[in-house]
Amino acid sequence: MPSGDYLWRVNDHAKTRREIARHSKLDAEAYDEYGKAMVEMAHFVKPIMNMTPPDPASLNPKGLMELLTMGRRFQKLSGDDKYNQVQLMTMSAVDFLDQWFETDVLKATMSASGIIGTFLGVRSPGTAYVLLHHYMGEIDGAFRSWGLSRGGTGAISNSIADAAREAGAEIRTCCPIAKIILKNGQAKGVALENGDEIYADIISSSVDPRLTFMKMIGCEHLPEDFVDDIKRYKFRGSSGKVNLALDALPNFTALPGAGPHLRGAVSISPSVDYMERAYDDAKYGRYSRRPYIDIVIPTLTDPSIAPPGKHVMSCFVQYAPYNLKEGNWDEKREEFGDNVIDTIAEHAPNMKDIILHRQVLTPLDLEREFGLSEGNIFQGELTLEQLFFLRPAPGWAQYRSPIKNLYMCGSATHPGGGIMGASGRNAAMVILKGK
Amino acid sequence: MSESKAPSPLRSAGALQNRIIIIGAGHNGLIAAYYLAKAGFEPLVLERREVIGGACTTEEFHPGFRASLAGSTGPLSSQIINDLQLHRYGFEFIQPKVRVAALNLSGPPICIYEDAKRTATELATHSRHDSEKYPEFLSCFDNIGRALRPLLTMTPPNLDAPSKSELWDLGKLGWKIRGLGKKDEYRLLRYGPMAVARSRRRMVENETLRALVAARGIFGSFAGPWSAGTSAPLLLQAANNGNPIAPAAFVKGGMGALTDAITKAATEAGAEIQTNADIAGVLLKGATAVGVVLRSGEEIFARAVISNADPKTTFLKLVDAGELDPSFLQKIQNYRAYGTVAKVNLALSALPNFTGVDETEKLAGRIHIGPDIDYLERAFDAAKYGDFSSRPYMDITLPTLTDSSLAPGGAHVMSIHAQFAPYKLKNGDWESRREELGDAIVNTLSDYAPNLKDLIVARQVITPLDLERRYGLSGGHIHHGEMSLDQLFAFRPLIGFARYRTPIENLYLCGAGTHPGGGVTGAPGLNASREIIKDLKKK
Repeated sequence: MPSGDYLWRVNDHAKTRREIARHSKLDAEAYDEYGKAMVEMAHFVKPIMNMTPPDPASLNPKGLMELLTMGRRFQKLSGDDKYNQVQLMTMSAVDFLDQWFETDVLKATMSASGIIGTFLGVRSPGTAYVLLHHYMGEIDGAFRSWGLSRGGTGAISNSIADAAREAGAEIRTCCPIAKIILKNGQAKGVALENGDEIYADIISSSVDPRLTFMKMIGCEHLPEDFVDDIKRYKFRGSSGKVNLALDALPNFTALPGAGPHLRGAVSISPSVDYMERAYDDAKYGRYSRRPYIDIVIPTLTDPSIAPPGKHVMSCFVQYAPYNLKEGNWDEKREEFGDNVIDTIAEHAPNMKDIILHRQVLTPLDLEREFGLSEGNIFQGELTLEQLFFLRPAPGWAQYRSPIKNLYMCGSATHPGGGIMGASGRNAAMVILKGK
Repeated sequence: MSESKAPSPLRSAGALQNRIIIIGAGHNGLIAAYYLAKAGFEPLVLERREVIGGACTTEEFHPGFRASLAGSTGPLSSQIINDLQLHRYGFEFIQPKVRVAALNLSGPPICIYEDAKRTATELATHSRHDSEKYPEFLSCFDNIGRALRPLLTMTPPNLDAPSKSELWDLGKLGWKIRGLGKKDEYRLLRYGPMAVARSRRRMVENETLRALVAARGIFGSFAGPWSAGTSAPLLLQAANNGNPIAPAAFVKGGMGALTDAITKAATEAGAEIQTNADIAGVLLKGATAVGVVLRSGEEIFARAVISNADPKTTFLKLVDAGELDPSFLQKIQNYRAYGTVAKVNLALSALPNFTGVDETEKLAGRIHIGPDIDYLERAFDAAKYGDFSSRPYMDITLPTLTDSSLAPGGAHVMSIHAQFAPYKLKNGDWESRREELGDAIVNTLSDYAPNLKDLIVARQVITPLDLERRYGLSGGHIHHGEMSLDQLFAFRPLIGFARYRTPIENLYLCGAGTHPGGGVTGAPGLNASREIIKDLKKK
């Protein structure tokens, strides 16, 4: 906080409540109500996450029935829940939170989850939805908790890979795909960059539609409308990542020492205006002079990822717009990194002394290294006009594509990004049904 | 002109059967009065001010100079114009050849004419692409507009238990939308939640033209062109007038002439209208409205009460909180109505010279100042931080070019709608900063018309606070509340209360705080009267 104070939310609900009460008694009470309401909303939305979106334009009675069922479920909600649900789908995170809370820094940090991975500000309509999206993370049945997996998120992928292999799947790495092979307009296999060709009955792409269709297939093989829609599909990467190897733990002025507060996430989001100004910079094509930073020090829960006594500090940074008005990301990478560290140093003055090494990933790096177009971490923004039956394109939200035997299974399909795995599962179900 | 009688206390119980009180003589209230009178009821419109019209008034802001408060009309629904036969009461539309001239500092303006061919031809000098796409641009918008038209005069469905006829109407609408063809149907689904700056990117590449289209989505809103959901008001307007660029239609004598004509029609149909009637509150018997009580203490009883005031004023000022559910009250408190519009009227000794504008004819419609999307967005940024834009977006008219009755010979009135002037200021207040706002507006305008300052004889600055105090608009919001996705159609003003009825029996809403919202369309008044008549005829 700009005053030097802090706000700390923990897994211990009572403790969080007392901490919030330190800032505002009203907010402490509202926090409980808010939590309950959000869980209700999450329960309502959850089945939608797991469904294949219906196609409102089709005459397929099954699709219409699904829409009707959804409508009925909405109808059955209580008046208050209906109200909350409509608001969540349309309002800005801050406007929504304004109705519950008064403490600015609480609203700032809560609204931050509304703009993760989006090219929107905390006051932009549509960000309240993303709040809910994040509320649906489920760990061992406990709604809304986030976990840090042992070994980092890489361990999650590895575990899934192990399970897949055990079930009979084969996974090959270092196999960059150049093209999807078509024969008579049908997908027949893939051609690797080294020239090798691998044939298959079914091809399912978990990379985003721009890569899949523009690069690996080519517009000339696709219907014009579809090409228009894919071209129109918004990525607008807005985040960067700074990973730091540290010699010691950072010492935050607001809460000095190596306390338990460092085991969760440290959020640099001192006020709603701060968050909004960070977004303003991005709108006009520059990275935020004073960015929003979400810091995690995973070594405190899993020391295995660094040498003993040393630490890893993982910083998620917004905003870093993919399209810069002046210059490019290769030129600006170090400057961007410096800015992030300067910002953290304002809150933890020992920062610069403890950095052993740093890695700065700009949206351009995310695109090059990880195949995320424009560096958007969700494979496309989570805005209403490209969600659910509109994701990634109207008429093509059911994991199929205009090319026979080619499916889509990445985050560019419903239900969107975040490490949920629902897209992959839903796509698999559709593929299996097709057989 | 309207009557100025002292309110007459109701004596005979017989008249109670048919008396309906309408709070506020705004255009929607007056329209509702007409339809109610025609249906055999006895509407009594009570207006606090000494003039009728609500925000649709023509007022003399300087000796000899008159200006409308609200800008050019919606357009007013043609059904209303025909039903009321407004032309019989001196109502005259003036439609100049040019709809709007979008100024920019670097060259000639982009002019949109009523004549589409002329527009396309002139557009070619700015963008060949846009010139070629213009006819398609118009027809696409027109198609969508036509499919959505039934929405305007439709009462939003009862979400909890839609009646058969409502489902039928919705089904018909859905069928019509399907009839657009898959492409346009999807377009429609996508447009609603979109930011207006994104829509029609394919068809319009010239920055100024894009800003012109985008402006319509943010007119009177607390939103910038990059704010999601701003395409929704644009779609509503398409339903009203299927042209992507808002029309310029002046009323001879200013907007006050429109409400005067409606008043005459309503009076002839049997309605009674009284001014200087300041209502303190709605009279309740339990949770039922039985009339109103004036500030003088006088009580007037009626069978039903309809409020033309905005939802916040109605429920937070005119109804006893004790009779409203706390949850309902809280939601009304949260109903967003923070105005961003300021109005400046200038009395000019002569017509200003606008740089790059060679023909006076080009100034006869609306004049748009907002040369590109970023300009509009920056103007909005200021409002987010509680300040007014130093370089505001403006929608200007010189109504004297087509109606010389508004000013002495040779002189002119310049009527300026400016955004963004947020109701809530972080530093200072509107009383003390009114002139500062006026200066910012005049300074920005002077960039486009360098001799402007020499011609100003008088200036009137109306801030959001003035709009609230003088015209009773909560938060100074000209649409009676934000036209955002969560406050439109079946959610306006609140989900569950979007059908002109309120939690208080016999109390109704008929203003812009109900579907289809603001803009001078008259549709809220029309729809509300229909529902009220339905209810009252049942009992």
